[in-house]
Amino acid sequence: MNAILAAFELVFTVDVLLTLISAALFGLLVGAVPGLTATMATALLVPLTFFMDPIPAVGAMVTCAAMAIFAGDIPGALLRIPGTPASAAYVDEAYAMTRKGEAEKVLGACVVFSAIGGLFGTVVLIFAAPALAEIALKFSSPEYFWMALLGLTCAAFIGASSPIRGMVSLLIGLLISTVGLNNPAGVPRFTFGSTDMLAGIDFIPAMIGLFAVSEVLRTIAAGAPPWDSMQTKVGNIFRDWGAMIRTYWRQQVRGNVLGTAIGVLPGAGADVAAYVSYAISRRLSRNPEKFGTGHVEGVIESTSANNSSLASAWIPALVFGIPGDTITAIVIGVLYVKGINPGPTLFLFNPQTIYAVFLIFILANLLMVPLGWLVIKLARHLLRTPRRVLMPMILIFCIVGAFASNNAAYGIVLMLGFGVLGFLMEENEIPIAPCILGIVIGPILERNFITTMIKSDGAVTAFFERPIAAALGAVVVIIWLSLILGAWRRRSANEQTS
Amino acid sequence: MRFSDTMLGAMLLVFGLAVGIYSQTFPAIPGQRYGAAAFPTAIAIGFVGCGLVLLVRGFRAAPFPLITRTEWTRKPGAMPAILVTILCVVAYIFFARHLGFIPISILILIVLFRMLRVPWWQTLMFAFAAAFVCDFVFRSILLVPLPQGFMPRLPW
Repeated sequence: MNAILAAFELVFTVDVLLTLISAALFGLLVGAVPGLTATMATALLVPLTFFMDPIPAVGAMVTCAAMAIFAGDIPGALLRIPGTPASAAYVDEAYAMTRKGEAEKVLGACVVFSAIGGLFGTVVLIFAAPALAEIALKFSSPEYFWMALLGLTCAAFIGASSPIRGMVSLLIGLLISTVGLNNPAGVPRFTFGSTDMLAGIDFIPAMIGLFAVSEVLRTIAAGAPPWDSMQTKVGNIFRDWGAMIRTYWRQQVRGNVLGTAIGVLPGAGADVAAYVSYAISRRLSRNPEKFGTGHVEGVIESTSANNSSLASAWIPALVFGIPGDTITAIVIGVLYVKGINPGPTLFLFNPQTIYAVFLIFILANLLMVPLGWLVIKLARHLLRTPRRVLMPMILIFCIVGAFASNNAAYGIVLMLGFGVLGFLMEENEIPIAPCILGIVIGPILERNFITTMIKSDGAVTAFFERPIAAALGAVVVIIWLSLILGAWRRRSANEQTS
Repeated sequence: MRFSDTMLGAMLLVFGLAVGIYSQTFPAIPGQRYGAAAFPTAIAIGFVGCGLVLLVRGFRAAPFPLITRTEWTRKPGAMPAILVTILCVVAYIFFARHLGFIPISILILIVLFRMLRVPWWQTLMFAFAAAFVCDFVFRSILLVPLPQGFMPRLPW
């Protein structure tokens, strides 16, 4: 109890609260700029945290990341350009709702379900941290392999109309992830003598290119016409909250639970949680045909998932010092600098620090509602700017964002290449989202496949020998079989009717 | 520009074969059966598989031109607009270091605004404002080392 009181004393000081509000505004602005990710926002905060005490330093990063993940939804809904990769899974859905004149509904859903998701993840973080982390710690390479494959399998569902085109997109992403030295054998692959490519394809310029530059190219090709049948005013975002919570509470809870579960796994973060949740939402929905046409159900489930995963990613980070995602990887570095060594002893010897972090998580998610409303109100002015003025400016933002990822022109080259690739893919109705998922999950899949094969001396049965791995493997196999069976049934039904 | 299923299938088939053959040049991990080539080979097999499915689908369907021009390409000026946009980014890659971020951004913005028929006064106003605001936010606040070029260091 003394530790909890001490935590309150640590957090509720003017300095800490002002730091949190500044970090929140910074996170909201960075997240709302297309191409600048929550990870980038957190990384940009690191030099500033060197001048802070431990609690405001960690608090600033927690608040900034949570806000950036939510703010990524705003340009996604208004411009079809996800602010962060975590919003990419449902960007088409959110944009379709804006086109239908439901911008306030989708943005309201993003605010409220992001905040609830964040609070859910925090509650799990507070009460179940040690137990959940122990389960994740029992995972070995076969379990990670199956989890990665499950994520990729779900990517085929994200690929809207044609699974084969979704598969092609996924394979493109997987191939991109193999570029460079970062592979189990440590040999350069597909680098063609380029020293820049030895480090692999940087995810940030690739995402800016695939999502933002391709959109700029498409709009400019069409002569940047004014927003057609576009809602230029975002009304009261609080209006539909009650109805949405009553109607979609199941989706919200499912998104929260899945997001928390994915967040707790090392390496899988908010973006994977959002993709998997969106796919599952569509599979389990009573109205799957409405997905992709501007239906709020999938948005609710995935936005609930991405914010809850953000909090739960701290479970392995705090308890065992293993990063749950890229953001916690950065935070672990700051914790060490500040003398707060993550690990089980932290709970024993420094409990007030842990409780202070928990308190900051709760505060950050509560702050999200008023500050989110403020940023949404400001963001709608984006739509008052004519597209012919906005698009060239977005291109300059993209160039700077791609450059900032590694402070080299190589990022801009990548961005341009991926912009053209994304443009051509969309021309041929090949969805972009599975490609992004392939780039993220590819290295995890390969590393765990090769590690398992080396451990088992080439025996494929190793993937089913451990109980959790066997269960996960069975789930993946069942999903694949049901997919093949479904396609076969559809074909025979078509042949019968013709 | 839209490829038919047959064309896309054939392209994926050839690409998959090329990736698969090239992957065989990657060295193995000594003493192990699976090395650097395993994963790219699996991806190549996937490409070949998708290519074959699309080829079969293309042959079964009614005859369709291998490449069709989508509607936007028929609009006058659409293709040059794409080309100019791409060339602007290429120009940034080559000249930003020598000219500096602010001058090259202003030039790119002027070219693109004028191409989209933004009036001259708006073009100049937005181009200068966007370049300077961007420079201030990214160089001064976010400490991104944007290329300086021949520009003198600004007071902020």
